[in-house]
Amino acid sequence: MVRHVKALVVGSGPAGLTGAIAIAESVGDGKDVVIIDEGIEPGGQLPKQTHKFFGHEGFYASVRGFEIGNLLVKKVKSLGVEIIQQATVTGIYEDVITVYDRVNNIVNEYLADYLLIATGATEKFLAFKNNTLPGVYGAGAVQTLMNQYKVLPGQSFLIVGAGNIGLIVAYQLVQAGAEVKAIVEASSRVGGYAVHANKVKRLGIPILLRHTILEAIGKDKVRGAVVAEIDERFKPIPGTEKEFVVDAICLAVGLQPNVELVAQTGAKLVYIPELGGYVPLRDENMRTTVHNVFVAGDLAGIEEATTAMIEGYIAGYNIAQELTGKSFKEKIEKMKKELEEFRRGPFSKKVRDGLKKMGIVFPEGGYMEEQQIDKGPLGKLRAVIECPQAIPCNPCETSCPTGAINVGGNINGIPQIDYTKCIGCGVCVMKCPGLAIFMIQEKDEYSLVGIPYELLPIPSNGTKVKLLDREGKDVADGEVDHVALNNKGKTHIVFLKVPKGFEDVVRSFRILAKSEEFICRCEEITKEDIERVIDMGITDYEELRRVLRIGMGPCGGKTCRTLTLQILSEKTGRPVSEIELGAYRPPTMPTPFEAVVKSVLTENSEVSENIPGGVKDE
Amino acid sequence: MRIKEHPILSVPSEKTYLTFYFEGRVVYATSEDTIASALIANGFDVFGFTEHKHPRGFFCAIGKCSACLVEVDGIPNVRACITPVREGMQVKMQVGRGKPKW
Repeated sequence: MVRHVKALVVGSGPAGLTGAIAIAESVGDGKDVVIIDEGIEPGGQLPKQTHKFFGHEGFYASVRGFEIGNLLVKKVKSLGVEIIQQATVTGIYEDVITVYDRVNNIVNEYLADYLLIATGATEKFLAFKNNTLPGVYGAGAVQTLMNQYKVLPGQSFLIVGAGNIGLIVAYQLVQAGAEVKAIVEASSRVGGYAVHANKVKRLGIPILLRHTILEAIGKDKVRGAVVAEIDERFKPIPGTEKEFVVDAICLAVGLQPNVELVAQTGAKLVYIPELGGYVPLRDENMRTTVHNVFVAGDLAGIEEATTAMIEGYIAGYNIAQELTGKSFKEKIEKMKKELEEFRRGPFSKKVRDGLKKMGIVFPEGGYMEEQQIDKGPLGKLRAVIECPQAIPCNPCETSCPTGAINVGGNINGIPQIDYTKCIGCGVCVMKCPGLAIFMIQEKDEYSLVGIPYELLPIPSNGTKVKLLDREGKDVADGEVDHVALNNKGKTHIVFLKVPKGFEDVVRSFRILAKSEEFICRCEEITKEDIERVIDMGITDYEELRRVLRIGMGPCGGKTCRTLTLQILSEKTGRPVSEIELGAYRPPTMPTPFEAVVKSVLTENSEVSENIPGGVKDE
Repeated sequence: MRIKEHPILSVPSEKTYLTFYFEGRVVYATSEDTIASALIANGFDVFGFTEHKHPRGFFCAIGKCSACLVEVDGIPNVRACITPVREGMQVKMQVGRGKPKW
């Protein structure tokens, strides 16, 4: 039986969901709208996004992607829209749309008055030796596995591509507990936002520009990767090959629109590299060359989730307009204005250039570009913003309780802070999606630097740390002063005590791992443990033994006694010969009781009768 | 390897486990797992082989690339990355295109 719906939405990602919301809200009944999606849960790629989104509050800025997905899905369902998951639209024919329902293993047929196709994009592949070896993954695939299914497909990663996806995945891998050896990028500059790059750099992850991957090493699973420097023509330079020991390689080399279905509707495709390759030709209302077929999101041109949501609304209101005969011009114009504001910045240049080829013109510029040099009055606890590029984002401005932060009129503006108004509350630090705001206060003996922190473990006050600079290099020793916890937003602020003069240098820290230099093997006592106890004033071997149990394991101190005496000598300045040696107590090796008992039995057979539970009863 | 703690996401400590079989070996999965996530969590990186005997794992994890095709209860060409696990299912490595058993 063919099911007839007024509006069929393909894809339950951000564009499909907002499209369905716009249609259902405007038509007044969600029953006329059906969403079909092949994933297991709705939301498209939102459920795997653990970072906070950029943009403004109207489109969930500073809310984490998976939470945005939940909010949109809840909204769609509350409007009565049916979402059919695990179902793939397999064909759009002249007379019918076929949908393969994987749960029930049946192909269902649909007819729709209007189609909103929001099928998103697929990760691009890259040609290099052994690139199909298990362990070579799309960066988004690793995100899906670790953030949705909580499974890490490796422990040590190499990332290929320093666009936003590569940078974000690198950071999220560290959050999940993996190690990222390096990010290689073929171009001579980082493609993603500087704030994303800064997050990974200060963790000590190197970004190797003008490098590419040559080969994945391994027989049935990745064991390593060979990378090399490349010249201006992107050719590897012989002799620059480097080998990384990794067990997974993430490819983050861009996305390409999933155009199969829109092509089957008969809509015209055009090749526009700036938009990701072949894309459907469409107008500013998201209508393709087929009257009742609309598109939105990455399918309409690779961009990001906020603009996908806006495009979804635009397409949805246009469909609703035709379904109802009513005008939703005001809502459509409002959304178009939003898009225009978002796309004014330098990172939208590609999209603007691409859309121009379709005859759709978006203006550029008109945002605040000036970098603030003033870092505020010394001694005052205050925020410093390190957001060097014009990107469409303003939660710092909207979250500041005193109105001290201003990005200017357009959302792409670089934020400026008015230090006469900043009260040092730290709200902007916790809200900033780029983790690009820090706290500073100069004190008499030391200074405080507050770092936005989204990793584990959360250090306790007084924890000794290595202080790191913006490149993740050790610059000094310090300690944690206190932590401002943010249990709701999960971006905490770790306040570090740093030496005077390091306020503008320290931007990260590393918790010192417990020393692994063992002295006593049996009891697993480290050199640091012994030194700590000596520092407490215990300088006698026997006393050390009682406090630490050093030398009291099965070996009886055969391995550790000399080393312990040497440490005592070093710490106290007394020669080893003058340090009390301590007693050598028997037994010199662990001896079973049975053996002891046997010896008694063979010496004196009378005793055997007196052993409780022994040989003979009365 | 399963993630046991995470600074942003909640990782439920109490999980419902179920079992299925991969090449006859028992695999423990959570009820939220896909075949792919369960296999990777249990250390199985090779899901099958190409016609030319190259090992094959998953690549895109969203049902697009078809690198993760496995045979489930005798039916080939099942995408491990978007197929939820089911108690007792028999998953086998697929070689090449897979041959349906009529």
